Amino acid sequence: MLWPVFIAALAVFAASDAALAEMSHEHHQARETCAGLSLACAGTVSPAFAPDGALWIAARVNNQIFVAKSVDHGRSFTQPVVITPNSVTLDRGADARPKILIDRGGRVIVAYATVRDEKRNGQLFYTRSTDGGKTFAPPQSITADIESQRFIAMAIDSDGSIFSAWIDKRNRAIAREKGENYAGAGLAFAWSRDHAVSFSDASIAHEGTCECCRIAVAFAGRGCPVLLFRNIFDTSVRDHAIMTFERPDKPGSVNRVSDDDWAIDACPHHGPSLAVARDGTYHAAWFTAGRIRKGLFYARSINGGRSFSEPVAIGDPDHAPGRPDLLGIDGKLYLAWKEFDGDHTSVMTMVSPDNGKHWSSAKAIATTTEDSDHPILERQGRHIFLSWQTQKEGYRLLNLKNPS
Amino acid sequence: MAILAAAPLILVSAANAGELKSFVRGSWRSIVEAHAGRPVIIHFWGLTCGPCRVELPAWGKLFAEKPDLPLVTVNADMVQDAPEDAQEFLSKSGLSNAENWIFDGSFVERLRYEIDPKWQGEIPVTLLIGRDGVKRRIEGSASMPEISTWFDEEHKPTKK
Repeated sequence: MLWPVFIAALAVFAASDAALAEMSHEHHQARETCAGLSLACAGTVSPAFAPDGALWIAARVNNQIFVAKSVDHGRSFTQPVVITPNSVTLDRGADARPKILIDRGGRVIVAYATVRDEKRNGQLFYTRSTDGGKTFAPPQSITADIESQRFIAMAIDSDGSIFSAWIDKRNRAIAREKGENYAGAGLAFAWSRDHAVSFSDASIAHEGTCECCRIAVAFAGRGCPVLLFRNIFDTSVRDHAIMTFERPDKPGSVNRVSDDDWAIDACPHHGPSLAVARDGTYHAAWFTAGRIRKGLFYARSINGGRSFSEPVAIGDPDHAPGRPDLLGIDGKLYLAWKEFDGDHTSVMTMVSPDNGKHWSSAKAIATTTEDSDHPILERQGRHIFLSWQTQKEGYRLLNLKNPS
Repeated sequence: MAILAAAPLILVSAANAGELKSFVRGSWRSIVEAHAGRPVIIHFWGLTCGPCRVELPAWGKLFAEKPDLPLVTVNADMVQDAPEDAQEFLSKSGLSNAENWIFDGSFVERLRYEIDPKWQGEIPVTLLIGRDGVKRRIEGSASMPEISTWFDEEHKPTKK
């Protein structure tokens, strides 16, 4: 019943694809050989809609990140504005990507991760533009303690404050100096109350998380961020955990999302996705290769993350389902992920009409035969869009919802 | 890419040990076929993987103790490593003379799919393939004593 909506939406965007093909005539070129600072050469594209409906992207091309804006749903973009300094080495890990936010005042805030030494310690930077993306401030380190950080997550609270969380190894370094064991890394956070002019001193919300996966953030209410992350249980079980802040400066308890029993002393490079619906339900999607279950899974919580429903397997387990992205709107919940059948990578989607109680069947809405970025769902008003960068076709923005 | 993909099986002979070969479409099949009927250890690793950097020298030590160890390493880092950096670390780890490969290209899903359609790239991972073709997968760091025992068992003349 729900899929005709998707098909109609895709038909509308057939013309958009043609326009994009014209715009991105370089996009058949392998990205690693791309020399220009163009969207066609970007390996990673992070989207965000501004309150005025404009689409902004932060795109990584080799060791540069540029920002551009589109007012025609990705058919064309403004000239790219580079925000990274020269001679920087960017984190190009599977789960690394620039973060971009547009606040109510139209300020464009971007954060990204660098690799700062031969031991691959990372450092996180942020910058902002107050002139509509024409210029950006010199990037600043998110924290004074630059021991090593990765995987920054950022979100704007309802009062305009910006919450930031990341993986931080400062206490691991201290433990090792003392000769103590320390598995994983810390989960750090900071707030900006001045529209990203500055961030508060970093605090560690939790110790002993997986050090190589992105983290997901949403808000359960004003001043109450929720973090979903791959934790380390016992000494080596890398299953997912969730934390809801009691207050802006007070992290809450850590609750296990699922007992997958993925005991692995290795780097999954595969983080989760989180949505908190207006009715307060939590929604989590994650990848695991645990002893109890393997593959991509979804679960929901009706008690603020204290417990979750039995995980539901998502996608075709023989096609490596992964890279999930969840987004909720008006009681509906959308889930996108990638699958690969040996020749084609597909972005699959499902929609739930009742905040995760029931789901439609899975459908492929876009495919490619070459390398591709993770699928990302973004909201513009009452519309849900899939943002997907592929090496062969270039950048695509597909409308998943076409309300009558 | 096309030339490498069509590379003949002779590329994986011991005569080419020390050369860091490009792992492209078809490489997995060529490795498996080249070692068919004999035990082989295939270790997947990467420079940006902390546990891998700890583990690789242990492989080098075992390789030094057992020069006939049928060890194949495949650099399958999620962050594509420069071949020269991978080669340098292999050398430092005492594995210059092992059969060493490195993923070529950014579309690594395609390469992983040929190895194991369900593998999403987490490393380190080690595959032990017995001379009877039976595969054993070790996720995370491998135990060198266990590897040594497996290899010795595989070399027993009575093993069927």
